[in-house]
Amino acid sequence: MFLHELKYELLVCLRVKEILIWMIIFPVCLGAFFKMALYNVYEKDIGFSTIEVAVVENSPNTALHTVLDNIEKQDDAFLKATYTDKEEAEKLLQNKEVSGIIFSDAELTLTVDGKGMRSTMLSDFVKTYNDRQRIITEAVKNDPVSAQAVIDELSKDISTCTEIPLNDGNPNYYVQYFYNLIAMVAIFGSLTGLHITINNQANLSALGARKNCSPTPKSISTLASLIGSIIIQGGCMVICVTYIKYVLKVDFGSHLPLVYISAFIGGILGVSLGFFVGSIGRIRTDMKTSILISVSLLSCFLSGLMVGNMKVTVQKNLPWFNKINPAAVISDSFHCLDYYKGYDMFITKIVTMLVISAIFMLLGFIMIRRKKYADL
Amino acid sequence: MERTVVKIDNLVKRYGELTALDHFSLEIKEGEILGLLGPNGSGKTTTINCLLSLLSFDKGRIEIFGKEMTPTSYDIKKEIGIIMQNVAVFDELTVYENIDYFCGLYINDKAKRKEYVEEAVKFVGLEDFLKFHPKKLSGGLLRRLNIACGIAHKPKLIILDEPTVAVDPQSRNKILEGIQELNKNGATVIYTSHYMEEVEQICTRIAIMDKGKKIAEGTKDELKRMTRNTETIIIEILDLPKAIQDKISGLPHVYKADYDDDKLTVYCSGGKHNLLRVLDLLQKEELSFGRVYSELPTLNDVFLEITGKALRDKEE
Repeated sequence: MFLHELKYELLVCLRVKEILIWMIIFPVCLGAFFKMALYNVYEKDIGFSTIEVAVVENSPNTALHTVLDNIEKQDDAFLKATYTDKEEAEKLLQNKEVSGIIFSDAELTLTVDGKGMRSTMLSDFVKTYNDRQRIITEAVKNDPVSAQAVIDELSKDISTCTEIPLNDGNPNYYVQYFYNLIAMVAIFGSLTGLHITINNQANLSALGARKNCSPTPKSISTLASLIGSIIIQGGCMVICVTYIKYVLKVDFGSHLPLVYISAFIGGILGVSLGFFVGSIGRIRTDMKTSILISVSLLSCFLSGLMVGNMKVTVQKNLPWFNKINPAAVISDSFHCLDYYKGYDMFITKIVTMLVISAIFMLLGFIMIRRKKYADL
Repeated sequence: MERTVVKIDNLVKRYGELTALDHFSLEIKEGEILGLLGPNGSGKTTTINCLLSLLSFDKGRIEIFGKEMTPTSYDIKKEIGIIMQNVAVFDELTVYENIDYFCGLYINDKAKRKEYVEEAVKFVGLEDFLKFHPKKLSGGLLRRLNIACGIAHKPKLIILDEPTVAVDPQSRNKILEGIQELNKNGATVIYTSHYMEEVEQICTRIAIMDKGKKIAEGTKDELKRMTRNTETIIIEILDLPKAIQDKISGLPHVYKADYDDDKLTVYCSGGKHNLLRVLDLLQKEELSFGRVYSELPTLNDVFLEITGKALRDKEE
């Protein structure tokens, strides 16, 4: 009976147009849009990591030389300095051979050609350098004994700041949009989960009533539907990641298998969310669909899928919420691969997703366990 | 002695202040086609839902095949086929797949199931539509698919809850013939409807419901004998003098004669040759008349007599 139910659940899910639209066509179109709209910007702006900069010194600045030399020595150095005079530097900037000119005098000043990520990074570097130079000068003037300790500490800090890539992933800003897209598709899996309860509850549909009259226990029927939906949702997640990786050629770094795993488990979380909402009380199906779409969108919104800073705001005000918000947990699992050395944080996020899914499923089963209804 | 298939004892079901079933009792014997007749909202579907253990009830007991019916009575459920008032099939599956799916909830053996599904397809005459999806079927064909899904596993008890609602006359006849055939093959049938003609046509016994109560029960002849009226004679006639109308009222077995809108309606209770006696009198009085017809009492007359209102709403 279980396999019979599972077979037909898969067949039905494969033929539901909404699933095809939201789980496959939607991410394909939106992914292509992201690629067209954003990826070119990325290639143009920070596609290669080193920023060429011309340095014009009024008098030799050994401290600046030391800092720039240290930066250039590092793997994936973000700056490469060319020491030259003002005229040559301006020519280089005009020919776009450098992204900016650093003038070294009492303080550093910067000239850039237009706005962009590179200009912002150069500006940040110049500002940080000037701030620290002031602190060191003050320290030498006021407390010469401890000045060396201050210089060492600040120099160490500058070095650390340049070590941005912490893992072997791709931490560029634009890949995040694709991670967010995958998370959104996973959350849309909730619509598949909702359809399970509608088709198995006698008080929600005529189909549910007919199934409840059969000798197949509701638990078996629901479990088969749940597993069928997870398989279909998992398939959609695999298609989504494969499309982004191999058709749109978005670089997920060296963690592709983990991205697949995370996306699949995210899909389970989405399905279980829908199953849980679908099981709540006797609310009309269209009302449940509206609630689910609202919950999904709110979850995505609060996880920063629509407004970049939202997750930080939530983290400041309701830090616990980010730990249980389904969309935040899914997108965090991808981010962990890029931003954290080792897999501890990734595993934590995966376990969190599985625990939340298990809780949703358990609560769903408890709520639909009822055998008779007071009203149909 | 015939075995009791269904026994409903003193069933009470309340929705808040509303009593949907008011101490309702019923027994259905093996091989019967029991018609559950009543106007909309009389409690027919509630009775069926309680019978199937979908609805909880406040009081009473239900036994099917001699055992108490509960939601986990899977051995009983195996022997029941249900055809719901609303079509309950998957839009995403074809005709064949739908029947196979529902049959598979009852029958595990694949070969046996294939045989049963093919028989059900033939039974409802959907051989030419096997690969059609439900949305492509007409209302009548869709109802036939709904029936096939309910009976493919060859149940011993078949419950049909208003299966002919919104069905064309041709499909309706096909459905009714099918139900009689299922009964001939050994199934006990419970048939709910508010169409008295259908119930009269196929049911061996009828229970009439109103406001959650059983108000009458018996064969159609037994029910009709409950009414005073046994024949209604209608004659189109112009200008009937009051004196003649009174004479007609005085004829043997006539208990009432109305004249309205150029129509004389004569109500008779028992007796034979009532029509001949009325026509003979009109001829003697040298009165010319138009169309003449005689009607036997219907279940609606029974319902009217017991409740004082018509069984079916006017718009129906």
